[in-house]
Amino acid sequence: MGLFSKLSTALLAGATAVTMFAGGASAGEFDGYTLRVKLIGGAQYEPLYTRIPEWEAATGAKVEILSRKNHFELDREIKQDIASGSINWCVGSNHTSFAPQYGSLYVDLNVILPDDVIGSISNNVNKASTVDGRLVQLARHSDVSNLYYIKSLYEDEKNQADFKAEYGYDLAPPETWDQVKDQAIFFADPPNFYGTQYVGKDEGISGRFYEMLVAEGGSFFGSDGKVAFNSEEGVRALQWFVDLYEAKAVPAGVPNYLWDETGLGFASGTVALSLDWGGWASFFNSADSKIQGDVGLIRAPKGSSGKRTGWSGSHSFSITEACDNKQAAASFITFLTNFDSQMVEARTGLLPTRPDALEAIIEESKAKGDDWLVHVFETFGTSMAEDAFAVPPTHLWIPISNELFPQLQAAIVGEKTAQQALDDAAAAANQLIEDES
Amino acid sequence: MSTQTKSIISWVVTFIVMLIITTPGLWVILSGFRPLQEILAKPAIWIPQRLTLDNFRAIFGIGETQIAIPVLAYFRNSIIIATTSTAIAIIVGISGGYAFARYRFKFKDTLFLGLMLSRTVPGIALSLPVFIVWARLGWIDTQFGLILVYVALNVPFTIWLIDGFFRQIPKELAEAAEVDGCTRWQAFWKIEFPLAKSGIASAGIFAFLTSWNEFALASNLTRSTNSKTLPVGLTDFIAQFTTDWAGMCAMAFIIITPALILTFIVQKHLIAGLTFGGVKG
Amino acid sequence: MSVLTNIKRKMFSEQATPYVLLLPAVIMILIVVLFPLIFSLYTSFTGYKLTRPDTLFKIVGFRNYVRIFSDWDFWVAFFRTVGFLAVVINLEFLLGLGIALLINKVTWGQRTMRTIMMFPMMFSPILVGFQFKFIFNDNVGILNNALQALGITDAAIPWLVDGWLAMGAIAFAEIWMSTSIFAILLLAGLFAMPKDPLEAAQVDGCNAWQTFRHITLPFLMPFAYIAMTIRSLDVARAYDVVDTMTGGGPAGRTELLWTLIARTGYDSANMGMANAMAYVSIILSIAFTYYFFSKLVAARRYMGGAQ
Repeated sequence: MGLFSKLSTALLAGATAVTMFAGGASAGEFDGYTLRVKLIGGAQYEPLYTRIPEWEAATGAKVEILSRKNHFELDREIKQDIASGSINWCVGSNHTSFAPQYGSLYVDLNVILPDDVIGSISNNVNKASTVDGRLVQLARHSDVSNLYYIKSLYEDEKNQADFKAEYGYDLAPPETWDQVKDQAIFFADPPNFYGTQYVGKDEGISGRFYEMLVAEGGSFFGSDGKVAFNSEEGVRALQWFVDLYEAKAVPAGVPNYLWDETGLGFASGTVALSLDWGGWASFFNSADSKIQGDVGLIRAPKGSSGKRTGWSGSHSFSITEACDNKQAAASFITFLTNFDSQMVEARTGLLPTRPDALEAIIEESKAKGDDWLVHVFETFGTSMAEDAFAVPPTHLWIPISNELFPQLQAAIVGEKTAQQALDDAAAAANQLIEDES
Repeated sequence: MSTQTKSIISWVVTFIVMLIITTPGLWVILSGFRPLQEILAKPAIWIPQRLTLDNFRAIFGIGETQIAIPVLAYFRNSIIIATTSTAIAIIVGISGGYAFARYRFKFKDTLFLGLMLSRTVPGIALSLPVFIVWARLGWIDTQFGLILVYVALNVPFTIWLIDGFFRQIPKELAEAAEVDGCTRWQAFWKIEFPLAKSGIASAGIFAFLTSWNEFALASNLTRSTNSKTLPVGLTDFIAQFTTDWAGMCAMAFIIITPALILTFIVQKHLIAGLTFGGVKG
Repeated sequence: MSVLTNIKRKMFSEQATPYVLLLPAVIMILIVVLFPLIFSLYTSFTGYKLTRPDTLFKIVGFRNYVRIFSDWDFWVAFFRTVGFLAVVINLEFLLGLGIALLINKVTWGQRTMRTIMMFPMMFSPILVGFQFKFIFNDNVGILNNALQALGITDAAIPWLVDGWLAMGAIAFAEIWMSTSIFAILLLAGLFAMPKDPLEAAQVDGCNAWQTFRHITLPFLMPFAYIAMTIRSLDVARAYDVVDTMTGGGPAGRTELLWTLIARTGYDSANMGMANAMAYVSIILSIAFTYYFFSKLVAARRYMGGAQ
């Protein structure tokens, strides 16, 4: 009964929304309504919010931002809200990795939003935003990582000669992860200079392992619904991290690194190669960075299966089932993901989810003569279109990741062998899966 | 060894110890006045080349900055929550401490131990159940909700200190006043309370510091500028990919200063209060 | 009417007074501590998942407890927590004693020094965590920078990665934060100390160590137990520090009960299990506190206090 009535409300709301959006937001549409929202905060995310007053002026509604926190805290807060049944807000920031956990908290946007709004976002992105056939989030920008490198190291003739002598092939920005390993070990001179680095804790290392696993040709889940990452491919994937750590080609502190450390570390000019997000591109080539003008960028390398790594996720907005005015909420998130909004974010270096905005930002950067940004957006655009894949769409991703990452760390620091660590993690993960049923 | 060399040695040792105690904290405070590039420089820049108020400007949103942290609202919340909860904890503590010090009653020891043990429950174990109860009562993200928690957190220790202090005061004083025609209430107010002032002040400073600095529960029970306190506001500087160390250090300065001033004012009472409060049960 | 006056009379009768005076405190504790704890005790017998409110009624009996007791990682965290507390509290006592004795000796500028001594108490645990995470950072942290600049080492010491170093770094932060409490309470004890026995001891020809060992120290012990009781009441504050500095990692090397509980409960949303762990941890805290408290009571008797 409860489900049925919810469903019919949603359908009804959807029907109204469709008619409403035919002409876009109209003046005074939601006069006097206060839309309560929970948004992700932080320097990269806030410029978009400066557009909120525009939406308020256009619709007559008022936006009340209940919280503005980083995503890990927001996640905790939303879980608490679910637990206490206090969903008294309409729109929440969301992310591909977190979305499957929230169950029926958020509505299926397919029902609420008109097709042309959904269709304006890249297909790949929408696919990753779909959980159990429900489109639970509308993406504002995407994250995928690619390989940054210090150009001058590769142009140095002595480096080229030495490398060729040692490894038997020409020194060039790497095509495969095996080459990354060779080059990282070649460039490393600890503790002053490191070959590469990786995030070593929390969901960061789980996600990095996952994309290596996929690039090695393995899969996270088997056909029996249990995890399958403790396979031969899994061991190969994990061994890559272990070997680099053992060779001291990465900083000894990596098991404690998150994106903060890797980004600032690369910008400090003490790391040769670094797989990182697009959001850092402008910073790496700015005056705040020691390697300004010396940064190169290529698509993420391939694993032994020939597939490139491409763990990606999108930052997004979702609408709660409990929302009392879904039309207003729909209008709000449509506005924050429309062409102009995405251009605001793109100009700060974030990757748009709308193909038309991506094209436009490349044109705009060309016109400004900013070759670096053109290259950045082209590279990230390509990998988003061709390489990107999201984490497995299950609400168990984060709990499994919490079992997995301490084991990955144990292997990296040499407490366990890769096989042993993965077997232990798999046992714990399978128990989680069993508990579900 | 002459007394003079001895005192010089003890002075020097003391100085070194003080240096170890203060250095980590002072380094953080100093970093609040330095630009980020200088803080994170490698090799480190030991002597600040440039002191700046930019980090504070950024926090307060003066000039061109992307995000202002609503630090004034946090400050206001912190002040209101810490002082109110301290005041209530002290009143409740005086009342409870007086009961333990001056009366004999059934279950006295059990009750006392029970109160103490209630304080041992780790905040992390308490945070979710309290959250759920508070949510049902509509107390999430209210100053009231947090004040109530802090009072309960501080009451056991306050009672303990104040109880010990009242015991120091001879019963006969108040009894004499009662013989002279005072009511018990008047006798308490005129005789016992003034004598217990130091103890109450030291209980107060402990309660204040606990409330002022508490994070684990506040981070769960607050949501917005309605009730977020300064320690919770500190995490505003952590975005998904970056931590603004300079801003955080500047904020640290803002958090510490009021506590430091208050402690400096009250510290004479603090020592005196502790001297008798806890021990002579 | 007569019932009301009856109640009124009872309220103000001498017998009822202490209960009335204690009522506010008891009510506060009931609301904030006891009710929530009863709730969490219940959930520890369910498969409660934070994100799925319906699981609140899925009773699983003792499954959570059985899992915990057969979980090696849990026991490692448990004993690491016990060991950590034992080491940290004892070191804090010794250092606090040293500082208190020093300050007691100093005659000039004592007021300033007392304030300096209390300086770390002004720092919120979360701030302490960030501060030491920053200081112990292997790349840009000032500690490594200082060691390298002084030529003591040219390696980047992974303070927060190596198992022993990371526990040491956390212990250092914790000790830095909390030694003040010991120092100030012991200083209070020194101030309260009667001068006669000391003088008598000197007359009897005791040396400084003998005087300290047989007169000063026994007198100070109750103060030490107070400090230890206060510290064990408050010890879970270390959660903020550990969570910020290492989050229990890497590879669970600095995992303490509190970080394990927080991750299980919030990040993995497995609240039923987390609350079962929390109960074990509460029992641990109570045991620590009870131990020091009984020591305190014994010491009071020894001193011949009022009770």
